[in-house]
Order: sequence, then structure tokens, then C-alpha cells
Amino acid sequence: MKTLTMKRIAQTLGVISIVMIAAVISNPLYAQTQVTASATAVGQQMTIKGKVSDDKGPLPGVNIVLKGSKVGAITDGKGEFTFPKALSSGDILVFSFLGYEKQEVKIDSNTTFINLVLSTDLVEIMGAVSTDKPYKSKRSKN
Amino acid sequence: MKTRLFVLLFIVAFQTHAQLSDFEHINFRKADSAAMACKDEGLSNLPELAYKLTSNLDTDVERFRAIYLWVCSNIANDYSLYQKNKRKRYKYKNDSIKLNAWNTRLKKEIFRKLLKQKRTICTGYAYILQELSKMANLNCKIVHGFGRTSMTDVEKLDAPNHSWNVIQLNGKWYLCDPTWASGIPNPETNEFEFQYNDGMFLTNPKLFAVNHFPIDDRWMLLKENKPTFDEFLNAPVIYGKAYTNLTGHDAPKKMHHIIQKNEKVVFKYQLHKSVEEDDIKFLIDNGYHNKKIKPTSTLIENENLTLEHLFDTKGFYDVHLYIGEDLISTYTVKVKS
Repeated sequence: MKTLTMKRIAQTLGVISIVMIAAVISNPLYAQTQVTASATAVGQQMTIKGKVSDDKGPLPGVNIVLKGSKVGAITDGKGEFTFPKALSSGDILVFSFLGYEKQEVKIDSNTTFINLVLSTDLVEIMGAVSTDKPYKSKRSKN
Repeated sequence: MKTRLFVLLFIVAFQTHAQLSDFEHINFRKADSAAMACKDEGLSNLPELAYKLTSNLDTDVERFRAIYLWVCSNIANDYSLYQKNKRKRYKYKNDSIKLNAWNTRLKKEIFRKLLKQKRTICTGYAYILQELSKMANLNCKIVHGFGRTSMTDVEKLDAPNHSWNVIQLNGKWYLCDPTWASGIPNPETNEFEFQYNDGMFLTNPKLFAVNHFPIDDRWMLLKENKPTFDEFLNAPVIYGKAYTNLTGHDAPKKMHHIIQKNEKVVFKYQLHKSVEEDDIKFLIDNGYHNKKIKPTSTLIENENLTLEHLFDTKGFYDVHLYIGEDLISTYTVKVKS
């Protein structure tokens, strides 16, 4: 009985060690490929230009921000912009303008010019105003 | 078994009452000062504003708080635009084409005013709160529906007239009304006065439902005892100060009462903070003169406030509840002989 459990433990240990060795061997290989991948990405820093419009034409004043940072640009009178920071593939630009739906654009290695059409946000406009005026019943004068 | 039931009861009770108190352990001072630090910021760069407001805060509720307080204390309510919109919406209520055209025109004006003058009406508040929240990765939505104040003509309240927000924090939804929290416009001068009301932040849904009725009743955030639209229209008028003094308005459920002489009316509330018995007064107005008097009986037990008032003279009265100088609610009582 006792030897049987010992055998079992040894077996399990064996399996665990194989798994660990496998992990150790495969990991550096994986890391190797990753390094080369990011190296090419770093090599491809791009200056991004673009134009933003809505259904009626160019849209000046649109905010463009690199997601997760404070770096940004604003479209000029012709709706055009040049992003101030060189971007690499995988970066996300967020386009926003009051009254329009926010849009995100992911940069890939082929991006050089972004042509974007923003659509208006569907908002129903209404408004009730708060007041401190006491309620007063309408009374018939008799 | 008994203890288990007790615990369960406690959890249920806690769930329904806990709102802002869910975050009692959080001090909003840091969030509030982040909002104050952005006092002079404009709306031309929303992502940057959202970043400035929230980047130094650790929790979602603090991030939302900073955005909310900024919106409430920097965006002014445009009373003349509100009046114009109210007139047009009423005029076109049966003409969807004209209403749509008006809405499109107004939308342009709204967003232009919001951007240039930081003035708006309530959808503008709800919208900007939603947009800034989205940029800080917070799940905030606009809720459209009916809002009731002392000036609302319930006979004419047949189209939605108000917008507010819901925010999801730690998986749970909460209510807030940035428009009504920001201040009160002076109807005579059309001048808007900033007067931040903290009671509209993560408000108890039961109190909120007294004067807010969402088109989609899921956003009442009430699991049971959801008021119907008629019940909402017949509810008492409550004021902004009700939100700073109360967490619940339980009785009476109706605004208008007809009673016999020497009959009593019972009033039940849940208090947000402790009050002195002497501070609780009724202002009773018979159309000619009014007097401020103590209720016939006042009972304060923990946070429960129960009042009884006996009407011993025939007449028709507007009955206003005051806690200290704060106007809380209004009822009418017709006393028959």
C-alpha cells in the first residue's frame, strides 16, 4: 500500500518536471520571435496625417488623442491634421467632437493617411429646470 | 436558521437603502479638488479634460465624482433656451416631422452654445457627463423621461421633458441628476445661479422616483413598488432641498387630500442626517395668509421621521414642509366641515 502511493508520487513528480522542462525550453524560443517582431515595429514609426469630415463637409476643431496619453492634435479649418508624435502599429487614435459619436482608429503598418467621417450623435433635446419656488394652488376668486 | 434569515433580511434592507452610503469609506476631497483645479478649462478638448480630471484618482467612484462635480459647477443652465424648447416641443408634439426638424436645429445651437459659452439645458448636462465619463472608461448613460418640479403643470406633462444619468460602479447602477444639482435659474432675470446640490449624486432610487419618471422603467432602479405614471403625476411636489435632507419620502403618496374636519394627515420620511424636532415646521397657506407652525405630533426614531397634523378648521390649504430654512415638500389639503 505504502509503496504504491510512493510510486504514484514519483510518477506525478515526473510529469511535473517534464512540463517544467518543456516550459523552460520553449519560453526562450518564444521570446526570441517576440523580440524580432517588436524590433520591426519600432523600426516603423510613422507620421500620421488625416482629414475629418461629417456628412456636410470638413470638420474643424475635432480632437485627436493617442489613447492612454495626453498627446493630441486638433483639426484645422480644412478638417486636416498632422499628429505631433510618430506612431507605431497598434497605437489607437481617439477622435472626438461635441455632438458627434466618438470613434477610434487603430494604426497598422500601412496607415499613413486617415480619412474619417464622423456621424452625429442621436440626442433628443429637452430640459426641465429645477426651482425653489413654492407651489401655489390656483384658487378661484369668490 | 433564524440568524441566516436575519442576515438575509439585513442584506436586502441594506441593498435598497444603500446608495451613496455604498461609498462611505471614500473621502471625495481629492476628487472634488481635482474638479476645482479644472475650473477654467473649456470643452474644446474633452479627452484632455477627462484626463486632467481623473488621472490622479484611484477608484471609479472618485473619477466619476470629479467629472460630475466639474459638470455641475461649470456648465450653466440656459433658461431662455429651455423656455424656447418647451414652447416648440409642446407646439409640435403631434407633428413628428416638425419636431424632428426643430430638434436638429436646436441640437446645433445646443452644441455651439455648450462649446462656446458652456451654457446648456439638461440634455446638454447629461450628454457632457456621459461623454467625459466614456473618455475615462466609465459606463455612464443618459436617461430620458419626465421631471416634476413645483412649476410643472401636470395637466400638460404629456411628453418627456427631462434627462438625467445612470452610472455603473463596481457592477451596480446608480442615479444622478447633474442639471438639477448644478443650481437654480432665477425665472425673473433669466440669470442662472450656481448652487451645487450634493443630494442628487448617487441618490436613493426611491426618493429619486418621486419626481423622476424614466421612459424606460428599468432605469428607475427599483425592483419592486415601481410607481405607475399616474402615481408619479399624483405624487407630492418635492424640492431640491428634499435631496439634501431625506433619503426617502414614504407618505403621503399623494399631493392632494380631501379630509373631514378634525381628521389627521400622516407624513413619513427617511432622514439623511439627524435633525432637531424644533426645526420641523409646516407652513400652512389658506390663500389669504400663512403661518408657520409645529406639526400636531413629531416623532424621530433613528432616521425615521413621522409627523401627524390635525386640521380643525374648514378650508383649502397649501401645506409646505420645512426642515430649518429648507423647503422640502408641498401637499394640498381640503378640509370639509
